[in-house]
Amino acid sequence: MSASPSNEPVDVLIIGAGASGAAIAWSLTETRMRILCLEQGDWMMSSQYPTTRKNWEAQQFGAFHVDPNVRGLEADYPVNNTDSPIDVLNFNAVGGSTIGYAAHFPRLHPSDFRVRTLDGVADDWPVSYDDLEPYFVQNDRIMGVSGLAGDPMYPPKQPPLPPLPIGRVGEVVAGGFDRLGWHWWPSDAAILSQPYEGRDKCLNLNPCMSGCSQGAKGSTDITYWPEAIRAGVKLRTRCRVREVTVNADGMADGVIYYDADGRECVQKAEVVIMACNGVGTPRILLNSKSPQFPDGLANRSGLVGKNLMFHPVALATGVFEERLDTHKGPNGCCILSKEFYETDPDRGFVRGYNMQVTRGAGGPLATAMRGLASGDIPWGPGHHEKFRQRFDHTVQVLAVCEDLPEECNQVTLDPELADSNGIPAPKITYRLSENSKKMLAHGLERGKEVMRAAGAKEILETPLLRPSGWHLLGTARMGTDPTRSVVNSWGRSHDVKNLFIVDGSIFVTAGGVNPTSTIQALALYIGDRIKANLANLFDD
Amino acid sequence: MENATTTTACTDAQLRRLSALLDTVLPASTDGTLPSAREIDFTAYLSEQAPEFQEELIGILERFDDNFPDLAISRRVDLVRVFSSSDAPAFRRLVFRIYDSYYQSDRVRTAIGARPGPPFPNGHSIPSGDLSSLEAVKARGKGYRR
Repeated sequence: MSASPSNEPVDVLIIGAGASGAAIAWSLTETRMRILCLEQGDWMMSSQYPTTRKNWEAQQFGAFHVDPNVRGLEADYPVNNTDSPIDVLNFNAVGGSTIGYAAHFPRLHPSDFRVRTLDGVADDWPVSYDDLEPYFVQNDRIMGVSGLAGDPMYPPKQPPLPPLPIGRVGEVVAGGFDRLGWHWWPSDAAILSQPYEGRDKCLNLNPCMSGCSQGAKGSTDITYWPEAIRAGVKLRTRCRVREVTVNADGMADGVIYYDADGRECVQKAEVVIMACNGVGTPRILLNSKSPQFPDGLANRSGLVGKNLMFHPVALATGVFEERLDTHKGPNGCCILSKEFYETDPDRGFVRGYNMQVTRGAGGPLATAMRGLASGDIPWGPGHHEKFRQRFDHTVQVLAVCEDLPEECNQVTLDPELADSNGIPAPKITYRLSENSKKMLAHGLERGKEVMRAAGAKEILETPLLRPSGWHLLGTARMGTDPTRSVVNSWGRSHDVKNLFIVDGSIFVTAGGVNPTSTIQALALYIGDRIKANLANLFDD
Repeated sequence: MENATTTTACTDAQLRRLSALLDTVLPASTDGTLPSAREIDFTAYLSEQAPEFQEELIGILERFDDNFPDLAISRRVDLVRVFSSSDAPAFRRLVFRIYDSYYQSDRVRTAIGARPGPPFPNGHSIPSGDLSSLEAVKARGKGYRR
């Protein structure tokens, strides 16, 4: 390792260039402060995404796998999932996990912010749906959201683009919902149904989760970042932050990071903003120990890393006689149902779940490999007959369940496992609560019910999907009480007045929907609060 | 056979075993519409897309006797099943490579109704779908809580 280069100090240092880091970088550009973002990954090139290659499916099992432990790329860090029934998933690049997400783009519901008041569990958020509503709108415009206005399960909203086609898949499953008298609606998606802001519309390539070659999917490398960089924000890639440093007054004064050549570098800053997701942020904070913060930075509450929430997923796969072309169209975005989203005490659990209808098992290789893993499609004689029954004939309905915060579910630093720079890896300790188990079971049964009503001739069950830890929430929660939360109502650390957190870590509860829309709305909201408080940003 | 490419890394005996192994894991369909995996140029696939697997493949082939290709398929299936039980990870890697090669084949993709080649840039066309029943969904009224 060579000497430690030092860099020119900046006003604002953002760690992480994903969903939230991009949004707040863009938001703060109007301040004309010197803003720098450090990102451990690199820029992606759409011409290199799998769907441009004949072996596009195989890459989803390798370099574009959703699990960083399987990918094992230079930009990735390992995650110890051995004490969790759900594996952490992510993507590390400019754009972060928006490179690998399905772009299913629901907002949290108004009730999600008031769970203590409405249902007597967990805590209310210190912000409301109405507080965030203008930022949802702003974010929808920048990311390019397609959807249909009028969903009675939400306050009025108008997506900027018309909905994506639901296709024959959507029609068939919607018929099931109709027969049961259940709610359904086309999914809001951060995927363009029409040309928009210099980007072309979706080509229905299908595997959105390995990057969008068309650029129709709203990942922040092609939405927020170009605008933020044009406005003067600096983005330095392949820089992995080890720790946030503090001065004698206990204020954050910068970071130590490793550059692309593995050199240890110092970056000084007046303000530090964490945007590394609900696992990456507590990992860095817990690794930032000092005499003032012996248990990790901003952790006087002891809650950094605790209250980890996923969205546990159960899924029912319906097998249909009719060919449904399920390898065409955005994989994760078809239709949804909120029939079981709000609390009903008669169900035996509190809170609820979103039913997300996806477009099946994917292409031929994915179909065959998943069939091999489950034993549903044999190798050898009999393969072709079973394969034909499955490929393009299966539809999945996922019950995306609200997880409630529990301190025993947490991210800590692994004492042995480390990344390529020697930084301790995150260790996940997580168990399903009884409430979540009941909700999963209920969701699976309702999924089977709707598949039967839609005409499925056979239904396959997955009671808990292990590779489902995309949504990493709650590990540095917001709140007004410094003893029961890590940051205040606008993302500022209670303990370190110039340290902000803007990613999913700050969620108080998880809701039952994919969180990216709300994460980004929160980041924009915090950006506006920072701008409004610039004159007294560090005051009590 | 699409192509009879061989790999210099394998002996003739190993190639015979490979051909039989491919035919055991993915035989032709009984209706004749889908070929056996032995009819797909697996060795060319390995050379171009998975050269790192060749060494492991040779090791796998050495688990089978020279008479393996001469056995009836039911007996070959039994022997492959023994292999899959004794080393499930290696078997899974083998099957992954066979499936990947097979389902990239233009001939196979056409037969199963999937367009040959990568999805981009042609993409796919799908119908908008019928949204008319949403009027009844809307008629149920507000369904969220504040």
